Amino acid sequence: MSTDNKTPSWDKLHHWFVEKVSSHHDAVPEHGGEAPKVINGFGRPIPPEKLNYQSFLEKASRTMIRFKKPEHLIKMIVRTIDERLGVTHTAVLLYKEDKQSYVLIDSKGAEGLKIPVGYIRLDLTNPLIQIFSEKNNYLISETGTVSYVDIVTGLRNREILEKQPDLYDSLLAIKKQMDLLKASFCVPCYFKRDLLGILILGEKMSGEDFTREEMGFFVTLANDAAMAIANAQLIENLQQKIEEIKDLYMREHRIFIHTAIALAAAIDARDPYTHGHTERVTNYCLAIAKELDGVPEMGRYKNFRETLQIAALLHDVGKIGIPDYILNKSSKLTPEEFEEVKKHSIIGATILNPIKELGDVVREVRAHQECYDGSGYPDGLKGSDIPLIARIIAVADAFDAMTSNRPYRRKKEIEEALQELKRVSGTQFDPVIVSAFLLAFEKGNIIVNGKKDRYLYNGNNGNHE
Amino acid sequence: MRKLLVVDDEHDICDFVKNFFGERGFQVFTALNGDEALALVKKEKPEIVLLDIKMNGMDGIATLKHLKAIDRNIKVIMVTAMEDQDKMNEACRLGACEYITKPLILDHLEQTVEKILK
Repeated sequence: MSTDNKTPSWDKLHHWFVEKVSSHHDAVPEHGGEAPKVINGFGRPIPPEKLNYQSFLEKASRTMIRFKKPEHLIKMIVRTIDERLGVTHTAVLLYKEDKQSYVLIDSKGAEGLKIPVGYIRLDLTNPLIQIFSEKNNYLISETGTVSYVDIVTGLRNREILEKQPDLYDSLLAIKKQMDLLKASFCVPCYFKRDLLGILILGEKMSGEDFTREEMGFFVTLANDAAMAIANAQLIENLQQKIEEIKDLYMREHRIFIHTAIALAAAIDARDPYTHGHTERVTNYCLAIAKELDGVPEMGRYKNFRETLQIAALLHDVGKIGIPDYILNKSSKLTPEEFEEVKKHSIIGATILNPIKELGDVVREVRAHQECYDGSGYPDGLKGSDIPLIARIIAVADAFDAMTSNRPYRRKKEIEEALQELKRVSGTQFDPVIVSAFLLAFEKGNIIVNGKKDRYLYNGNNGNHE
Repeated sequence: MRKLLVVDDEHDICDFVKNFFGERGFQVFTALNGDEALALVKKEKPEIVLLDIKMNGMDGIATLKHLKAIDRNIKVIMVTAMEDQDKMNEACRLGACEYITKPLILDHLEQTVEKILK
């Protein structure tokens, strides 16, 4: 509404609207009594309503909450109006971001009047969209709607129009749009300040004007619908975002895991005698973890299984710093060479340390050669001071070493290796982990020689795992 | 009276366009497929055709070819749901005057028809 009081024509126009609306007010009786004889803006009496709007609205707003897709809700609204109000046609236009316009989503009505779904749109420069976009446009009636009869009446008001040629153009533009849509009534759907859509109504089949009660009904329905639509859109957007983030995370995660696998493979490839070692150790670790449900230490990891998998894949990454002649040596290592090999856990931790995302993995890699009784390296940690994942890797690592051929010794039989694990359970290894390993073995989850050993026993013997 | 033919396999669209242009002083014929369209062009000789591209059976492009064979001067506006540049170019080559993308703006539809008939 314009506040420019110097322009008398605006006041007159204002007056014209106010008078029309107040005549509606006057027509509503305060207490029941006789059915209200509602008078429309132009003095024609309107018969009482048959539809119980209040109960309909209550039912509608309850139902709306259940709609997850705005389109379904709109279909329900359009169908209800069409079935119960007897209008020539009903249509709903909804804002579509990708089309930058209001697209016809649903329509019902008589043949030829029903606008085919998806056939038309109103762009943002459309006069109807424009007036609804500014909520306080003077062409909008007090109920918040635009009515064809009002527009036509405005166009006939020569007194005002002579002084306001612009107004004439606006009214004419609106009339043209309503003619195109054959709309007698347009109801906006707002959410906050955004125009989400417009409800278009044709004429009543009876040829009567819409009553004030009906107008109020449409406006309430439109507002409730707007709320439901906005919620549904919000949820839809949110779900989409969640999916996107999930995808992104999964992609990054895959890259991360595959990088770790590639790195592990590179290390395995450098040491021909431990071919497939990393893969087997990782599988053993995951099998052990399955039997560890309820171990409280697992809860200290942000993501236990993932940390375990990555730590297992990378546990020998430090071997990159061990000279080839030691790794490839086919005879027993000298004590000096063995000292050199022992450095691999520290080297591994040093290599991985700058990768912030690895978090706990670094200390697990550093500690995977520690012994439960404190006799391991590099820090001589003892018992539960050794992080859980490192204790798991230690068992898996040792079992694979025992059951694989090495240049300097023949592999142990599986039964023999299991006995050895039991023997050093509580000294070299955490007994809880050994038990979990044995349980996993019994269940058939420890698959030894999933891949055939490529390197055969060459007769030497030694023990420097 | 100016004669307009609308060809669309959607009943609602035919009805709507018939009503819309009927009120704007046209005699409107409707065809739900290419064959019906060709028969109507022969019989009624419309000046202008609104032709949907994507139709079952004979599609808009094929229909256009046949329409032009019957009446070289017939004016055709292609209507399409998706902007397919290849199809547009082909339609243009075959002599379509204009194309309109769905969802369309009614003003624009009216203006395009008027412009072409001038």
